[in-house]
Amino acid sequence: MGDTARIEELLKRPLYVYDLPQELLATLSAKTANQPVTEQNPEDDSKDPEVAAQESAIATSTQCSLCKVSYRNVQEQRSHVRSDHHRYNLKSQLRGTAPLDEVQFAKAVGDLDESISGSETSESEEEDAETTLTALLKKQAKLSETKEEGDTAVKGTPKNPLFWFSSSSLPSNKSLGVYRAIFSNAEQDEPGHLVDTIRKKQLAPVNARTNNAQAQQKPTATGPHIFMCMIGGGHFAAILVSLAPEIHRKQGGVEERQARVIAHKTFHRYTTRRKQGGSQSASDASRGAAHSAGSSLRRYNEAALEKDIRELLADWRQMIDTSELLFIRATGKTNRRILFDKYEGQVLKQNDPRVRGFPFNTRRATQSELMRCFKELTRVKVSEVDEAALAAAAAKQKEKEEPKPSTPRPQPQKPKVSKEEEAAQLHTTQIQALIRRSKVPALMSYFSNNSIPSSFTFQPTDSPQNFRCPTPLHLAASLNAPAIVTALLTRANADPTATNNEGRSPFELAGDRPTRDAFRVARHELGESKWDWASAKVPSAVSKADADTRAERERKAAEEEETNRRKADLGRLKKEDAEREAQMAATKPGRTLGAVEKTAAEKRDEETRGMTPEMRMRLERERRARAAEERFRRMQGS
Amino acid sequence: MAVRAQFENSNEVGVFSRLTNSYAIVAVGGSENFYSVFESELQDIIPICHATIAGTRIVGRLTVGNKNGLLVPTTTTDQELQHLRNTLPDSVKIQRIEERLSALGNVICCNDHVAIVHPDLERETEEIIADVLGVEVFRQTVADNVLTGSYMALSNQGGIVHPKTSVRDQDELSSLLQVPLVAGSVNRGSAVVGAGMVVNDWLAITGLDTTATELSVVESVFRLGEMAPGGQGAGVNKESIVESFY
Repeated sequence: MGDTARIEELLKRPLYVYDLPQELLATLSAKTANQPVTEQNPEDDSKDPEVAAQESAIATSTQCSLCKVSYRNVQEQRSHVRSDHHRYNLKSQLRGTAPLDEVQFAKAVGDLDESISGSETSESEEEDAETTLTALLKKQAKLSETKEEGDTAVKGTPKNPLFWFSSSSLPSNKSLGVYRAIFSNAEQDEPGHLVDTIRKKQLAPVNARTNNAQAQQKPTATGPHIFMCMIGGGHFAAILVSLAPEIHRKQGGVEERQARVIAHKTFHRYTTRRKQGGSQSASDASRGAAHSAGSSLRRYNEAALEKDIRELLADWRQMIDTSELLFIRATGKTNRRILFDKYEGQVLKQNDPRVRGFPFNTRRATQSELMRCFKELTRVKVSEVDEAALAAAAAKQKEKEEPKPSTPRPQPQKPKVSKEEEAAQLHTTQIQALIRRSKVPALMSYFSNNSIPSSFTFQPTDSPQNFRCPTPLHLAASLNAPAIVTALLTRANADPTATNNEGRSPFELAGDRPTRDAFRVARHELGESKWDWASAKVPSAVSKADADTRAERERKAAEEEETNRRKADLGRLKKEDAEREAQMAATKPGRTLGAVEKTAAEKRDEETRGMTPEMRMRLERERRARAAEERFRRMQGS
Repeated sequence: MAVRAQFENSNEVGVFSRLTNSYAIVAVGGSENFYSVFESELQDIIPICHATIAGTRIVGRLTVGNKNGLLVPTTTTDQELQHLRNTLPDSVKIQRIEERLSALGNVICCNDHVAIVHPDLERETEEIIADVLGVEVFRQTVADNVLTGSYMALSNQGGIVHPKTSVRDQDELSSLLQVPLVAGSVNRGSAVVGAGMVVNDWLAITGLDTTATELSVVESVFRLGEMAPGGQGAGVNKESIVESFY
């Protein structure tokens, strides 16, 4: 087991994809299933001498139950607690949403990256991280709102940004992750040959040249290399890195491997609008060109940045053409146009199969950020999972995938309406409208044209208005329309014995004498044998002439009564007028108010009510002056 | 040494005072009984400051500090700040911070090396805490509660957390802080241990209602008895003490 121990030792150091140790390479095998793997944070450098002295009383549970990850030592645990991932989970726990594991979080941040890097105006990297987190939290808040409705939708398994490998010389719970992006498209399509591909990719390290002058020579294409560039918010950084590691000998003969940078360049121009954010060209496009000093500065700088970048790319053309992969981060229309737009001597093509984005969150375009990205891309991730957690996750997954018994949802079906019923409903509306408007001839022609049977009942029968008046005759009677009643009975042959749902015949719904007479006249005209008039509750028949004479008599009586009433009223009015005249004559013109006479003091009080004391005083003074004048006049006059 | 005290019939001594290894702040009250408890324990060892913060007596909940510094909320008046500067040792940095969560004592819990803070604290505040108090800052919750300062009492020797904290959380926190922790209560079962007591490396003051059992837990986890005669550490240190006499 000495071999295993040695490899364990190897894992302590960062592993470089292009220069893996032989022992590890020989035993490498790809992991097949999409196993859940939690990734360890390999970057921990801070050594705290104080915490090295651990005491027995202090618990050594260096894990995070919230994020479900465990760490080897306290330093790692502490750096985890300070990470965005932990803070995000902490906040989501407080909000009541489920925490994300590291892969999910990386993906969430990756999704966000495109929207964040567009407005890259933050001043420091810490701020950058802060905005990432807050933006993610905001987005998550929005998502969780929508999620609650359609959570059942099964998501397709996302493309994992990492390929996972295991090695027989490693414990079974350890796996090695390599970024998908560092394989060419063809290699990615053959997951079976990944290990072979990695073996092929191994490069012998190069000894660093000790002579500085020689090292500063013009960049030349020596061996495989990759091109990386980032552009955003007026910052541009590009780098050409050789894949073969370089060995530096430090003092004391310690070998140190470093990435060899063939060439690098960064530009910064002032192009983003301070405080508002966004590029000047975007603002011009949406709002029309501004004419401020700042806007023209930014416009100039955008053009200058484009020129600088294109010149640089042209300079590096040969190197870029021979590079294995092109990692490019350029979000936003303006930024993509600078790199990929058609211009003379174009270097980068959008459809180049070597072009790919960074599969993780990146910060502002600087050289150090590019170096960090290079390290991140080429470093082998080591992850550790305990088997129990794996099994639990698998079981959960299985449970989720199991098809749920699909119960057909009982749909609130609308009762199927047949053709006949539809026609009947149409007739109902038409007939009801005609009856309401007392259109006798139109109603009769409608009956005959559509050959509607005499026993027609309104449809639908269960609607409230058809409950009381199920037949046209019922409706006509309840509307007090004698003409319609007569027509329906005598010409349309309607049945007066039909009852509504309350058990009433049409006659009983009739509200006035003419309508009731219409029934009695119809009984007379149709004859006793036509219907069972007794069950229709229609009283004894009267002839039309009888009914008319009775109506005439009644009308006359009513008229006479009316004239009598008028006469009496006129007499009363005349009498009242005369009385009023007499009263007017009797009383003197003048005060007619029935109120009690007010004393002078009361009147004065009323006048001064609501006045300020000063006004009241002035009024009083005027009044006294008037009284004095009056007195003088009287004295002179007398 | 652990003692019981009361501030004007209130057991929440952590509300009305703040105790660190280099100073103590006591609220200005109607009676001096509470102050005299501090005076009898701390006189000639560390300065005790009679103060108000923003005109209130809840100095323990509004401020946070350790031997390196003191943070006061933005509501503190200039006169109060000047008074604190005059009273506290020069080595103690005092800073007024602009933070939405202004009851700093409720949202921050610290000893001389680490601080556990409310997850929603601003990043600037976090930096100020790290700079002024000289601590490593962690955003964490105590028993799923964001008010870390209320539910946790911490010294360099140990800490007490909310009585309902799970064993797993205790282990994690203990590993993070590198001090032993226990879940416990003060003032006859009160869960707000941070507000119910004040503690530094050699003295704890709890409410008058604290039971003997609670007090013994406090003494053991903060190792308050060890340095005293008859304590566990007595034998160990005696030689070195004797040595230093000659």
